[in-house]
Amino acid sequence: MMARGRDIKGELSLHADAVVVGMGAGGSIVLRELARAGAKVIGFEEGGAHTFADFNQREDEMLPLLYQDMGGRTTRDLTIRILQGRGVGGSTIHNTNLCKRTPDEILERWARRNAVIGASPAEMRPAFEAIERDLSVSAIPAAWLNGNNAVLKAGVQALGWHGAMLQHNRVGCQQSGFCELGCTYDAKQSAGKVIVPDAVAAGADVYADVRVDRINVRTGEVTGVHGFLLGPNGEVQGEVTVFARVVVLAGSAIGSSALAIASGIPDPFQQLGRNLRLHPAGVVAGTFDRPIEGVRGVPQSYECTELLSFEEGSDKRVWIVPAFAHPIGTAAMLPGFGAPHMRAMRDYNRLAVLTAMVHDDTSGRVTVDRDGRPSVDYQMTLPDSDQLGRGLRACARILFAAGATAVTIPAVVPRRLTRVADIDRVDLRQVDPREFPLTSVHPMGTMRMGEDPASSVVNSVGEHHQLPGLYVADGSLFPTSIGVPPQISIYAFALHIAPHVLAASKR
Amino acid sequence: MTSASPPVRSSRRAALRTFVEGALVVGVGGAVAFVRTRGYSDARDRPLVSFAPWESVVLHHAARRITASDHPEDRTIPTADELDVVGFVDAYVARMPTPMRRDLTRAILYLEQVAPLTLGLMSRFSELAADDQDRVLVAFEASPVVLLRGAFVALKSLVFMGYYRDARTWSVLGYGGPWIGRAGHGSHGAPPP
Repeated sequence: MMARGRDIKGELSLHADAVVVGMGAGGSIVLRELARAGAKVIGFEEGGAHTFADFNQREDEMLPLLYQDMGGRTTRDLTIRILQGRGVGGSTIHNTNLCKRTPDEILERWARRNAVIGASPAEMRPAFEAIERDLSVSAIPAAWLNGNNAVLKAGVQALGWHGAMLQHNRVGCQQSGFCELGCTYDAKQSAGKVIVPDAVAAGADVYADVRVDRINVRTGEVTGVHGFLLGPNGEVQGEVTVFARVVVLAGSAIGSSALAIASGIPDPFQQLGRNLRLHPAGVVAGTFDRPIEGVRGVPQSYECTELLSFEEGSDKRVWIVPAFAHPIGTAAMLPGFGAPHMRAMRDYNRLAVLTAMVHDDTSGRVTVDRDGRPSVDYQMTLPDSDQLGRGLRACARILFAAGATAVTIPAVVPRRLTRVADIDRVDLRQVDPREFPLTSVHPMGTMRMGEDPASSVVNSVGEHHQLPGLYVADGSLFPTSIGVPPQISIYAFALHIAPHVLAASKR
Repeated sequence: MTSASPPVRSSRRAALRTFVEGALVVGVGGAVAFVRTRGYSDARDRPLVSFAPWESVVLHHAARRITASDHPEDRTIPTADELDVVGFVDAYVARMPTPMRRDLTRAILYLEQVAPLTLGLMSRFSELAADDQDRVLVAFEASPVVLLRGAFVALKSLVFMGYYRDARTWSVLGYGGPWIGRAGHGSHGAPPP
């Protein structure tokens, strides 16, 4: 059964074997696996239950519908915008469908450094394969390379750098280019389309428009959750209490840890909310003397991995992909305002935009502010800042190699370059990262897994070290940054831990 | 070895001084605020959903400068007034979580009352000439205070959302807009033209 909080008034009291908080990639998988095994399981989602018919390709209407805080979530110092999904399907509704497994080197490091057991590359392979089947993962056809991606590829090849086509989870893609606003054509094989309906068909109950505010605990064990039923404009119009012996947190690295903190979950080693990674990314725009039309077609189909290595201690920790936006996003990204800004906007169709995403080591932190809302602290370390600078310079180099006539690095003092030689004159080593408009779409960590309670929050199968019955099944689990888009990793780890959640629900 | 009494006297004196200074700041600040926040009238013909009249007036001036055209003589480029950017932002922020809404009010207050002073301009932002308003906005965007730069980005983003949401601005960019509703492509799920 799929219900919407906005259609319910008053108080609800429910009983289940397990309750899952958050219906994105991780939560939906646990929900489906438990339902398929015959458990009575309830899923809650703070955002709405949307279908492709709700997606109208307008930025001003889709941002508030599909993103946390109407797309305005940032770090506490306002320097990094954090784009996170809300709604049944979570960020898989608005992401650009990139499918990459957790790199083997990362899994091996987690085993070696973070005492994660049972999650070696060989042990995780079945989960990755199963998820890729569920999501119909395939190679993006080379013919679908749009103008912006073609620029990246041309630049990478001209420089002799490493690059490749990417994989995605779309079926029936119309190449409209509106992916980040939800797919109007229902081509995205998102959690909301592929996983949640299967869970509901197997007997799970899903409630959209429910904000869970508390994990209930009695005598050292979880007993369920409490939440609010939200009306169409987010107003509280009722309450819900669920009695369950298992609670699964799957509301993202920010939402899950904030809920755990607000609930006073035991944290004897002060690990909860810490070790946040963001994959912070800056952008570089190139102007061409020919139409690029970056807004049309598959937004991200090609990657540059010249500056990305997953070896421990590597000084190559930057992933470069295209990052074109619709007009409102582009206007916000370009520096300045007024007449010079409009002149720059006139080049919209002749722009190519790349992003340099840092596979970060910085350890941020999620707390809860006086208003009870998540607060994100993230002060980029010098090595990460150095990586960001290298990445931005590499983007500029690629754009010039592809034929850009000018390159702009948006910043408090924008760097405007007209030739390759300008790049060497722009020293971006260890710049103040707060000068650049940075975006994060991959929060991770905050409730990391491992067998050592002193350095992790949950064990290797996602169960809280001190509070039996409390599980985590989202990107919060990851002990480090993973350096690739996390959706496949989140789905796969949720699938990996689901049998353990099921066993706990029957204890 | 020190006795306990001197710090106590010092603490009392400090407390008294703090009280007097605080009272002065509150008194003078209140008087300045009273003078500087009077006289706003929102000329829009529709009632405001979220903003106080003074916020609407300030944003109105900021939106004009932020979206100023590079070809002001070209009447085909719509202005922020013609697109009712302030009306859009007013309705948009009404749906924001209260803490975000509160921060936005602070940003608008800073722009109106404090930002001009940082350049030695003694008038409110909304009473400055356009050139001076641009100077204030440039300084706001490049403020050495990280939080203020973030506040500018938030204001700018909201204004541009109100501006570039409108199809009348898309011709400036050569942007075709959503496929939904285009001729031969009227419904969701339908193939593109």
